[in-house]
Amino acid sequence: MRKEIATFIVNGVSYEELIESNMTLLELLRNKLGFTGTKQGCAASGNCGACTVLVDGKPTLSCLTLAWTVRGRNILTIEGLAKGGILHPLQKAFINHGAIQCGYCTPGMVISSKALLDENPNPTKEEVKAALAGNLCRCTGYVKIVDAVLAAAKK
Amino acid sequence: MVTQEFSVVGKRMPDVSGVEKVTGAAKFTSDIYLPGMLIGKVLHSPHAHARIVNIDTSKAERLPGVEAVVTCKDVPKKQYTGCLMNLQSYSGIEVWGVHDVRVLDEKVRYVGDAVAAVAAVNEKVAEEALELIDVEYEQLPAVFDEIEAMKEGAPRIHDVVQRRQDDGTPGDEAVERNIGVHVAHKPVGDVEKGFQEAGYIIEERAYTSKQRQAPLETFQCIASFNAEGKLTLWTQFQVPNLMKRMIAYVFDMPVGMVRAKGEYAGGGFGAGLHLFRVPLCIALAKKSGKPVKLIYSRREEFTDRPTRETFGPYTFKMGVKKDGTITAVDRKVVAMAGAYVEFSGLSSLIATSVGNTVYRRQNYKAEADVVYTNKLPSGAMRGFGNPGETFIREQVMDEAAEKIGMDALEFRLKNLCQLGDPGTFGPDFPLTSIALDECIKIGAEKIGWKEKHGKKKEGVRRKGVGVSCMAHNSGAWPVHVEHSSAHIKFNEDASIVLTVYPATIGTGAYTSLAQVAAEVLGLPFEDVHVVWGDTDVTLWETGSHASRTMYIIGSAVYEAATEAKGKLLNRAAKKLGVAADELDIKDRRIYVKANPGKGIAAAEITKEAIYSHYDVEQFTGSSSYRPSNSPPPYQAVFTEVEVDTETGEVKVLKMVVVSDSGRAINPMTVEGQMEGGAAQGMGYALWEEPVMDTTTGQVLTDDFDTYKIATTLDMPELDTVLVEQPDPTGPFGAKGVGEPGAVNQAASIANAIYDAVGVRIWELPITPEKVIKALKEKKGK
Repeated sequence: MRKEIATFIVNGVSYEELIESNMTLLELLRNKLGFTGTKQGCAASGNCGACTVLVDGKPTLSCLTLAWTVRGRNILTIEGLAKGGILHPLQKAFINHGAIQCGYCTPGMVISSKALLDENPNPTKEEVKAALAGNLCRCTGYVKIVDAVLAAAKK
Repeated sequence: MVTQEFSVVGKRMPDVSGVEKVTGAAKFTSDIYLPGMLIGKVLHSPHAHARIVNIDTSKAERLPGVEAVVTCKDVPKKQYTGCLMNLQSYSGIEVWGVHDVRVLDEKVRYVGDAVAAVAAVNEKVAEEALELIDVEYEQLPAVFDEIEAMKEGAPRIHDVVQRRQDDGTPGDEAVERNIGVHVAHKPVGDVEKGFQEAGYIIEERAYTSKQRQAPLETFQCIASFNAEGKLTLWTQFQVPNLMKRMIAYVFDMPVGMVRAKGEYAGGGFGAGLHLFRVPLCIALAKKSGKPVKLIYSRREEFTDRPTRETFGPYTFKMGVKKDGTITAVDRKVVAMAGAYVEFSGLSSLIATSVGNTVYRRQNYKAEADVVYTNKLPSGAMRGFGNPGETFIREQVMDEAAEKIGMDALEFRLKNLCQLGDPGTFGPDFPLTSIALDECIKIGAEKIGWKEKHGKKKEGVRRKGVGVSCMAHNSGAWPVHVEHSSAHIKFNEDASIVLTVYPATIGTGAYTSLAQVAAEVLGLPFEDVHVVWGDTDVTLWETGSHASRTMYIIGSAVYEAATEAKGKLLNRAAKKLGVAADELDIKDRRIYVKANPGKGIAAAEITKEAIYSHYDVEQFTGSSSYRPSNSPPPYQAVFTEVEVDTETGEVKVLKMVVVSDSGRAINPMTVEGQMEGGAAQGMGYALWEEPVMDTTTGQVLTDDFDTYKIATTLDMPELDTVLVEQPDPTGPFGAKGVGEPGAVNQAASIANAIYDAVGVRIWELPITPEKVIKALKEKKGK
């Protein structure tokens, strides 16, 4: 197994790491860099969305992304969303609208929602549902998640 | 709706864990890494039924990075059960319980059953080591059908198991006809007479599906022994103290040497009630001498985690008079245990009785055979027998109404239980609240029942509406020990620490319990600091299941808060020169009720008591609580569907969920439970179809691409209404909340399908193929 040194920019901070060539971005984030906010929920098959991060602003399934291919790119994880202790409007809305139960899908859900609002600041309910269709939640039934995203969009 | 008389109770307070979860700071078991920790993986049986003739682990043990390999030689030989509900009793085994599990056995009984386990420095090495374990199996004939399994000459899955003896201890018994246990309720009245009095008798059979809990976080367990041999466990517990007791039993350890610490859990839905592979994780930690985290992959979660209870068939026979009075109900169930009884005895009892508080008690009897087959065992999942019972009962109710020519709602309203009627556990525990009639009326109006139901349908796509009603429980006292606890202490600034231990599976329990404490103590919500997650710190607590948390733990909190309040006011009374009962507290201030201008800041009293030279005191309150009833939460669900008569596809257009769970301590949380429950209930009804290869016993649906849970796009227009009739026995009038949400959907959808296209589906999930088949058969008639 080949090992390479690469630089990763996560939440604005550079990390130089020695990685195996087949290491996924999810494994890098969780196991090497300690960003355990991003989760694994399926068979690393891209089926649940819990591993969603932003790579150069684009929502990306980190379980299906080889770490090597995103070296030098700007990676945003859930840990990087709040700035200086101030929660992002999406984070506030999720809390205030009861959109969080167990919290396991929440990081991926919030990141996917941010990607939507960055591109489409005023989505309809249907557009929100479509944007989040790849993020599974077993707890909430999605009702309050959609409410929260629409509320955050208004801010 | 109830008028808002409270400061904190009844408010949509944001969850106390919200900030942690939304920033990614919340730690789940999957995020915990202990120094020196190894990763554990399980070797699964590829065969449905086989004897393990020999296991050679030498190659696996030699692989660099492997630190322990365990087989049946390395683990206790005791038989036990993973169904921890057995331990809600002094004896430790119930009449419906069976000890038929071993940590690792010399036989495997389903594809996926555990054969051995490995602990290694990382997951990749552990998985490689599994491949190096050489197992010699003697394959045995397998059986996958319950009726076949009960026949003469069928493969014997268990020979000797332990069942409860008359003296309450487990004793060896031979298994006959692959029946793990037979359970029955005490008959009420005279069923035969009831059927004779009936004008019509309806008998139906239903087959339900082996739904998966499918929490987003797969099973993980960490076991760590300290230098003195004390064991600490982290996993997605729902009942940590019961887990401790069973671990102590299996490993012959003192209970006090087991400590259960919980982090947040990525879902539960009943999966955390099962002891499951925790003993195997402990065995690896023991053998390696290091902490071990046993990890289940998503594929393992789908192919080797005990599932929802399953019935095949559930036979429901009901007698009804021409005037609409139900005269008798006879329930016979063949329950699919799978390879081990686990929860199947208890879920069968629930599935044959929980409906008794919906419609007035009639002549009634019920029994179930819990049958072994070489399939994945049945565990516990939200609703626990109720979704299956409701699926058949509510369709039979509709059929009966049609037969006698009565509107389906009128028929239900006519037979509804009344206040004071016998509760789930008999006339000694009567119904203390029931607002189901209101639920029905509200739901009917919101779905447009009068305009839409029973109308002539035309076209390729036809719409229909259906209803389903249900009752559940709020805990299971008196049949179970229902011991819950709470402890409160006042900090010097008059904020409090509330120590409780419901499950951390995301039910919002901590927030609601904090609201109860804040309300009793007249404190702002943010002054309540909640501590949980350690059985060495928290008082003995049953945990979370059977929708017990708010009703029972909430009452424990109420009592503890009342005690702490009394002590605080006693000291304040001395300071103010009044009697303690003249005082009350609100917004951090203690005041004289008759003269509110006279008072003192609570923080002055608490600080003075802690920093006193002569008379030190810290105000605490403690409760070891058990309830005196189990008031049913009720719910009516109305669904509008559209059925495509060419493709058989069923689309849920709108669902109205009207719930009577007593007072909603936190309406946002209660709605969330109903909405999330509805998604699972709809999955049970329509989308979640676990598939097993019936020749090999291999489960084929092993990831979210084949086992389809609801996505945002699947959810219909969902209208959730809370009817809050406070129950006099619950804390601030609250009843159980967790499970009712997932119970009504299958029946409501099935009844709506009948309304749309005139066919009844009696097998879950309701797939397009089944609808087409039923439509063809109807056409043929």
